[in-house]
This record gives sequence, C-alpha cells and structure tokens, in this order.
Amino acid sequence: MGWDERDSGGLWRLAYALKIGENHLRDLMDWLEEIALRDAVSIHEILSRPDLGRIETDPRLGRADKLKRIKEQIRRWRFPRLAETEDDLRKRIHELKLHPDIRLSVPTGLEGANLHVEFNASSAHELKRLAARLMAAADQEPVGDIFALLSGDRVKDGRLSRD
Amino acid sequence: MQIFQPEEVIIERGSEESPICRNLRNALPHVPFRIVEASHNGDAARAPEAFGAAKRKLLVTRHRGEFLKKCPGSEGQVCCNYFVINFASNCPMDCSYCYLQEYLAGNPALKVFSNIGDLLREADDLLSRHRGVFFRIGTGEITDSLALDRYIGFSREVIPFFAEQPNVLLELKTKSDCVDGLLGIDSKNRVVVSWSMNPQRVIECDEDGTASLDERLAAARRCQDAGYRLAFHFDPIIDYCGWEQDYARLVEQLFATVDWRRIAWLSMGVLRTTPDLKRAMRARFPRSRLITGEQVLCPDGKLRYFQPLRVAMYRKMLGWIRAVAPTAKVYLCMESKEVWQQVFGYAPSCEKDLGNQMAPHF
Repeated sequence: MGWDERDSGGLWRLAYALKIGENHLRDLMDWLEEIALRDAVSIHEILSRPDLGRIETDPRLGRADKLKRIKEQIRRWRFPRLAETEDDLRKRIHELKLHPDIRLSVPTGLEGANLHVEFNASSAHELKRLAARLMAAADQEPVGDIFALLSGDRVKDGRLSRD
Repeated sequence: MQIFQPEEVIIERGSEESPICRNLRNALPHVPFRIVEASHNGDAARAPEAFGAAKRKLLVTRHRGEFLKKCPGSEGQVCCNYFVINFASNCPMDCSYCYLQEYLAGNPALKVFSNIGDLLREADDLLSRHRGVFFRIGTGEITDSLALDRYIGFSREVIPFFAEQPNVLLELKTKSDCVDGLLGIDSKNRVVVSWSMNPQRVIECDEDGTASLDERLAAARRCQDAGYRLAFHFDPIIDYCGWEQDYARLVEQLFATVDWRRIAWLSMGVLRTTPDLKRAMRARFPRSRLITGEQVLCPDGKLRYFQPLRVAMYRKMLGWIRAVAPTAKVYLCMESKEVWQQVFGYAPSCEKDLGNQMAPHF
C-alpha cells in the first residue's frame, strides 16, 4: 500500500515527537495500513482522530506514556474484538476483588485459553489463606465468565457478546 | 474456470521421453517447448513479482530427492498423520493467501516432475513394507493436485497403482474442476477427490484462477457419480462481515449437491499467515483485505484469528455441518489440543489416533 505525503508526514511528525523506535514504528505502520485498508480511510485521517490528539497533548503524560497509550489506542482500532474481549476479561478479574498477592492474567492475544494464576506465600499459613481465597473466588460468577470468554462462548453472530 | 495455459514448456534434458512430457506435447501442440540442460531452475528470482511470473512457464524436470514425505504439520499442533507426494511444485492458480508465496519464494518455478516411475517405486516400497499400517497420502501440499492434470495426465499415471494398494487412501486436493481425466478410471475406493471450499465471494476476491463454487460442486458431483469418495476442506475459513450467512449457505449447497455419506472427511481451518507471508501478500495483493483480520501470533509462528473468535467460528461451522451430516468425520487442520477440546469436547490423544479415525473400513 502506498503512503502519500500526508500519511507519511503524519506518522513522521508523531515518530519525531515521541522518538518512536524501529520496532514500535513497524507495528504502527502495519496496523495503520491494515486499518486504512479495512475501513477504507486514509492513514492521515486515522492519525488525525481526536482520541490520538488528546493523548498527544495531555500535559500529564510523559513521552513514553504517550507512546504507550497511542500505540494501545491504535491497536484497539486494529483489533477491536480482541481488545473488547481483553477489556471484558480485565473487568471480570477486577470484579473478583482478589487479594493483591493473587494475580490473575490471560495470555497475550488470548492464545491457549488458559488463566494464569500467580501468588506468593512466605509461610504455610499464608499459603493456606491465599489458596482459600482463590478457592472462594473460583466459585464466583466472574470466573465462569472468564472461562466463557476465553473459550469463545461469548462470541455470538460474529460479534462478542457481553451477556 | 479460467483455463491455464503455459506460455512455454521448458524441458530439462533427460525428461523428454517421460510420460509427463509426452502427455504435455499431446495436450499443448501450440505451446513452444524448449529443451534445457539439467539444473535449470525456471529463471528463479526472489522478488515478489517473480512468484507470479514463475507461474506462466512450466518446467519439466526430474525430482532428485524423496517424493514421499510426512506432512510437516505445524509445531505443537494436533497432526492428522498425513503423508505427501510432491509430484509438482507451485501452482498455476494464484490465491492471495497461498503459503507457497513464502514457502517457495526462493524457488518459485512452476515445475512438474518427470520421473513418476521413481515416485511409484518409492510408494510401493513404503506401502508394501508396512501393510499393517494405513496411510493417507495427498498430492496437494505444494501444488494443486488436479489443476495441471488436463495437460500432464498425472492422475491416470498413478491412480491404477494406488487402486491396487490395500492400505492407502490417495487424496487429490484441488480448487479446480479438472476431473475429466479421473472419470474413466476405477479407483477401487482408494482415491479421495477433495476440494478446498469457500463461498463465491471469497473465491472472487482471493482465489484467482480457480474454479467457481458452482464449478467445484459440479465437479464433485461428477466424481461422486463416477464412484470416487469425496472430501472437502473448509480452509481457509475467512472472517468478514457476513461470513456466517455465506458459510452456512456454502455448507447447505455442498450437502444439496453431494451425498454426505460418500464424504471421507471434512476439515476446517481458519486463515493462517505468517509475518513473511503477510509481506508477500501486501506486495502481490495490496487490495486484499485478508491481512486485516484480527490475527495474533501463535506459538508455532503462525498468525491466526484470536482463539475465542476462531473457536466460535469453528463451532458454528460444525453446527451447520452436523445439522445435515451428523456422523461425517470432521477434523481441524493445524490447531492445538486446546482448540480441539473447545470445539469438539475432546482432543485426539495422538496423531495416530486422528489418522486412524480417517481410515474407514481398514
């Protein structure tokens, strides 16, 4: 796909302002090209969206945070259903209100459909306490939702369903 | 179907007297033939445009390695214990998603191998040494099994041999409707003719030079009527707005055309690419939207639709298939045990398990 002057100028300006490295730049270029192709819009139009402008001009954010958020936003546009599923999973994990020493996570890109559970214990007592909390959490509705999301049960009519 | 005709046939010295070459000369009297010395590689080059250009000339050469190989499958994925015979390399058709764009990038010449006698000797050696083992062997791994058949007559050279083997099914996998050469041969139930299936919309956008859906269905029906067993591969299944209607209709059309009880197996696989293949696709098919799917990198290095999405797609496909063909054998191509479990509720314990399921009446 050809980049016209406005497209390449838009990305160059962003890359220069945020000192974007080669790997990040390659990801962004691929995603932008693919969004443009899929949605029949120009790369310049994508880069001019207010969502990106707000991040870029947010005085509370440093350069690295701006880059992280801009990349995250463009990834969301590129992978909307994946991003939505990840949001749902995060929400369900949050709803479990687990002890800070217990961490639940899912694989990158959701490949493997496994829930990763991590916790640290410095004594047998602590281990029992954390395990008991985990056992209690396993019976809660959000855990069922998490596995339903990971196993594709919530994809209806080609769209992800929240219910 | 757009009839492929090579601009030129290049024959490596030593292959002039082969049955393949003789068939070609008879079938293509108006196409120029050129004899070259051995080791000619079809004017190979690595540029993306070279891949397309290589499809326009046909090189006839001896195969110097082994013809029969175990299908490499994909690392960590459930394998269906399949063997492949590479009787040709590259394909006259031009699907935008074709993995050969990456796999044959350094050697893209459209080749057909002339030493079929060696191929049959190798197959005979394997099959006769292991009579207690059932083999599924396919010829459509790095080429289309039938797209060149009207010129090279490969099927009529090999089917009589495989028809006499008690422990094999030979699968001829195609996107063409070139089945005329098969119809008069008695395969004795040892040959499965199979089609890669996609809705007409996908065929038009991304399967250049292939038979239309109606042509594939008509060809399948002719093969069924001639006594062949059939197989169908819903692969690659493409995710796009409206895919459900199109694929549900595809399944409906298929079962309205052929008797599902004559179907040896059905497979499903979603679109798979790699970063390198995507680069080739961008260069050669810049308007194809296939690269815009929500694919993520999997542990085997391939990009697939993210797992919850593709599992949902497989389940829908399986539901449409099962509604008509409740006991047809359905398997997944290049998928993990986790995905099998989520789609079917079980995963094959090992590759032999899956391979044996595909060996009816053995």
